[in-house]
Amino acid sequence: MGRIFSERLAVSLTLLLIGSGLMLSTFGLSFAELGGAFSPTFFPRIVLIGWIALAALAVITDVAGRARAPHARWSAAAAVALALLGAAVLMSTLGFFLCSAGVSALILAVTGQRNPWLIAAYSITVPAVLSLLFSHVLKMPLPASPFFWWI
Amino acid sequence: MIASIPEALGLLFTFQGLLALIAGTMLGIVLGALPGIGSTVAVAMILPFTLTMEQAPAILLLIAVYAGSVYGGSISAILINTPGTPQSAATCLDGYPMAQRGEAGKALGWATVASVAGGLTSALLLIFAAPQLAAFALNFGPIETFALILLGLTCIVSVSEGTLVKGLLAGALGLFLSTVGGDPITGEARFTFGDFRLIAGFDLLAVVIGVFALSEVLTRVAAKIEEDPPLVAFTGMVLPTLAEWRGRLGGLAKSVAIGCGIGVLPGTGAATAAFISYAEARRSSPRRANFGKGEPDGLIASESANNAVTGGALIPTMALGIPGDAVTAVMLATLTLHGVSPGVRLMTENPVLIAAIFSGFLVINLLLLPMGMMVSRISAPLLRMRESYMLGAIAMLCFIGVYFVRGNPFDLLVMVCAGAVGFLLRRQGYPMPPLVIGMVLGPTLEISLRHGLILTDGSFAAFFTGHPIALVLMALAAGALSLPLIRALRR
Repeated sequence: MGRIFSERLAVSLTLLLIGSGLMLSTFGLSFAELGGAFSPTFFPRIVLIGWIALAALAVITDVAGRARAPHARWSAAAAVALALLGAAVLMSTLGFFLCSAGVSALILAVTGQRNPWLIAAYSITVPAVLSLLFSHVLKMPLPASPFFWWI
Repeated sequence: MIASIPEALGLLFTFQGLLALIAGTMLGIVLGALPGIGSTVAVAMILPFTLTMEQAPAILLLIAVYAGSVYGGSISAILINTPGTPQSAATCLDGYPMAQRGEAGKALGWATVASVAGGLTSALLLIFAAPQLAAFALNFGPIETFALILLGLTCIVSVSEGTLVKGLLAGALGLFLSTVGGDPITGEARFTFGDFRLIAGFDLLAVVIGVFALSEVLTRVAAKIEEDPPLVAFTGMVLPTLAEWRGRLGGLAKSVAIGCGIGVLPGTGAATAAFISYAEARRSSPRRANFGKGEPDGLIASESANNAVTGGALIPTMALGIPGDAVTAVMLATLTLHGVSPGVRLMTENPVLIAAIFSGFLVINLLLLPMGMMVSRISAPLLRMRESYMLGAIAMLCFIGVYFVRGNPFDLLVMVCAGAVGFLLRRQGYPMPPLVIGMVLGPTLEISLRHGLILTDGSFAAFFTGHPIALVLMALAAGALSLPLIRALRR
């Protein structure tokens, strides 16, 4: 089972399911009664038919094929992805400086940087320099951070 | 366009214009030299800095970074055997062996002169061919436009070599993403699922920066931590003498022609051009036995071809609004940010701006020689920089770039999601350029198809009768699509 159900196949299957789900959703949408090329779902349906057909082909290829995705440090990638997501959500409230400092410190830590002073120096200096550059030199204010609004 | 050149030079030779050319070329070379950044990420990183600039300098800065980064990739290819950009992968084959035997400066000299020759020729081709192509395309109606975009989309096939199904699927994904939001004819919301933030659709730049730059950060974070690469001895660039060029000019001309020709074809890309040109040089060079052991002919072939692609790729981008690759797709999106609508009317509506861009592109390629000599010495120690420092900076610049485009925090979420999806798809062999090309061409494809069908009372068969240009374009598209399929079936 494990040999058949690979990471590659999981992605292809997910794409097939998403495409099918989106196609089904076009039948539930209520638009003004405009037929043919006037219909807002006319073009998306053509694209989705192509999507589903290609995803089905990809599933078949992945079942038949033996190619495997390269080894990944999933925990490191997941941690950085979550930090990026957190930064995107909190950017308006925590500001650019704090969010970027957190993200860059985490990236340095998970990519093998072991010197805490270096991590701290980089994570404070680079976001601060970028904030100063954009907010004060280029006059393009980035979201301000609490306690650090003056940067 | 030629008539607009004097006025265009006024735009070019301003303080901001010159600064954009010089700083852009320098930055492009440095960013291109750093392994893992690549031309698309380099352009995405510079994007936020262009938002406060005027139209012409902003676009010139991006083009300078693009051309500079393609050349810059050769520096790391030669000095650490790691191509800074995929376009320079073929440069490693002969560049690094030359560097290993103590001729790193000489190898960079060959690469620089070949790059300048390729870039300059492609700039001249751009200046003379793009206006002709745009003038021809001005007569296009919706049916011809649909056929043209269809032909542009077939470039997905060429960027999906080896992963055709996945490339086409990524293209379909891009086309679908372009349909999210308001319908272009009726204005009704599609696929928003009640979320008002989706009514304006996905921001193209947020998706592009996500799938290219942020997914690159995640890919590098997920990869095994590697040791710092060894750097060969390098004291400065040494240009080849005229005598050394004897017997090599024919090969240079052939490689430049290959690069220009391939560059014009949407989607083929500089990496393909460099490898085709390298293979041709290896077949026809009188010194073919030395290939792979540090033969300058190999360096000339790959570097002249990959730089010749830059001007060629700008021809369909500027004349027709069809991006040649992911970098030119980002540039098209940037044009919109600066109030310029890409498409067949771009040249007639903005002759001075286009003349300034084209003349600037010529100057950028001239600047590659002095800048290359200067920057290669600065870049060499930078190649020892730990990758994690670059990744942090890339992530921060991605946030800044996307935030400033519309000032909408939702775009940051879109970027991060696109980055995560891009990371997962890239791991499974899905190429990302088709997704971007699909997203860029999707709106025009939809509008032209629906307008065409409305004009022909819903008859798609009428697209083939009474529209000879459309017929030719669709035949070309069918040919472009079926040739790789036939080749794949034969294999």
